[in-house]
Amino acid sequence: MMLVIGGLLVLLSVSGLGVVLTREPRRQVLAMAANGLVLSALFMALQAPDVAFSEIVIGSVALPLFFFVSLSSLRANRKRE
Amino acid sequence: MNHPNRSIAFIIMAVVLAPFVVAGLWTLPPFGSYPGPYGDVINAIGTSARHITNMVTGVNYDFRGLDTLGEEFILFASVTGVVMLLRGARGEAKSAAALRIEHRRREGRSEAVAGAGRVLAPITLLYGIYVVLHAQTTPGGGFQGGVIVFAAILLAYLGEGYSAWRRMARSAVLDLVEAAGAAIYAVGGLVPMFFGARYLENILPLGQPKTITSGGLIAVVNLGVGLAVAAGFSSIALELLEETRTAGDDQA
Amino acid sequence: MSIFPYFVSAWLFLIGLYGVVTSRNYVHLIGCLTVVQAATYVLLLAVGYKTGAGAPIFADHPPGTPAVDPVVQALVLTDIVVGAAVTALLLSLVLQLQKHRGTIDPNDLQPTRD
Repeated sequence: MMLVIGGLLVLLSVSGLGVVLTREPRRQVLAMAANGLVLSALFMALQAPDVAFSEIVIGSVALPLFFFVSLSSLRANRKRE
Repeated sequence: MNHPNRSIAFIIMAVVLAPFVVAGLWTLPPFGSYPGPYGDVINAIGTSARHITNMVTGVNYDFRGLDTLGEEFILFASVTGVVMLLRGARGEAKSAAALRIEHRRREGRSEAVAGAGRVLAPITLLYGIYVVLHAQTTPGGGFQGGVIVFAAILLAYLGEGYSAWRRMARSAVLDLVEAAGAAIYAVGGLVPMFFGARYLENILPLGQPKTITSGGLIAVVNLGVGLAVAAGFSSIALELLEETRTAGDDQA
Repeated sequence: MSIFPYFVSAWLFLIGLYGVVTSRNYVHLIGCLTVVQAATYVLLLAVGYKTGAGAPIFADHPPGTPAVDPVVQALVLTDIVVGAAVTALLLSLVLQLQKHRGTIDPNDLQPTRD
């Protein structure tokens, strides 16, 4: 189990770096969803099923929706001017 | 300050403060050896004291119930902020289904997405209600189940398209449900005070362990949180989706 | 391995903050804030972990079995949900900003000096 936790922590460092280094907002949303997936796997490995529940739904449903809808209306407002 | 100065200041301060951070992290207990007594005490007495088997729910709604009241009202304030900002700027013009903005590229909905949304939305809704109700027995609770119900509402949006979804999810109903959820928590904590106990003290009958009516006040408060979270997130999604459209007349 | 999770948490905090400082787009900045939040979740859950213990749910085994700390899990799970709502509030602020000032680049939005 320690090996699994260690591997997931390394993967989390890399995916967190990926979220920051992805400058284009629409691609960053997908990087955030991947980060959320790694986080929920880490929470399951740390014996926290409730936390993993929240993170799976928030990281793959709520946050990508909010970001994509906001980016769509930002683009529409920009074109309107 | 402008961009290169910001980066340089950040790097300098990171290098200066790094030894303090490392020194602080070094004194934490080694990973895997949790020393503190509070968690072990709750694990040991939770079932006998409150008849619950999910200790995280017990901490959230009973042992540290006041903190969760604060968290729920942070959620309430954020949702109010989003609604005030977006609905206030747009005006309260009633529109059953807003029109599309003219020059936006229109892509048809794929039938696979619509079919998947229609099939999965009721299943996810049922699962979300199950997770909310079984807070005291298995992993679950108001927060987790509330966001799963929100995911079901979004799947309904994927399945039905914007106009039909807008007729189902009315902002007045969502506001009412969210306020009711927050009120259940705050006012439900006042009820023990009428019987001489403290605020949010658990005086309801505790029930049998491993049933959904165990835990006394936990069941009531948990329901309030589930309603508030689901309706709050749906309000946010509705306001953000309305931003992508212009106000229109009442149109099918 | 005994302090590795804490350093991963500090690393995530550092790069998230670096992303906030050097961002060119407010939406990208909000995404980096979620990384900073993830750093705090990892730190909290790592403090509460006990080697060889199970989840603090006793639905199918008696309450005497070793379990990890439920207090930090309660803190983190409310934090995740509320953090998403606050992120939505920040996004709506960015939307209003674009309507009023026409740009979402932090470098173009210096405070006016007149």
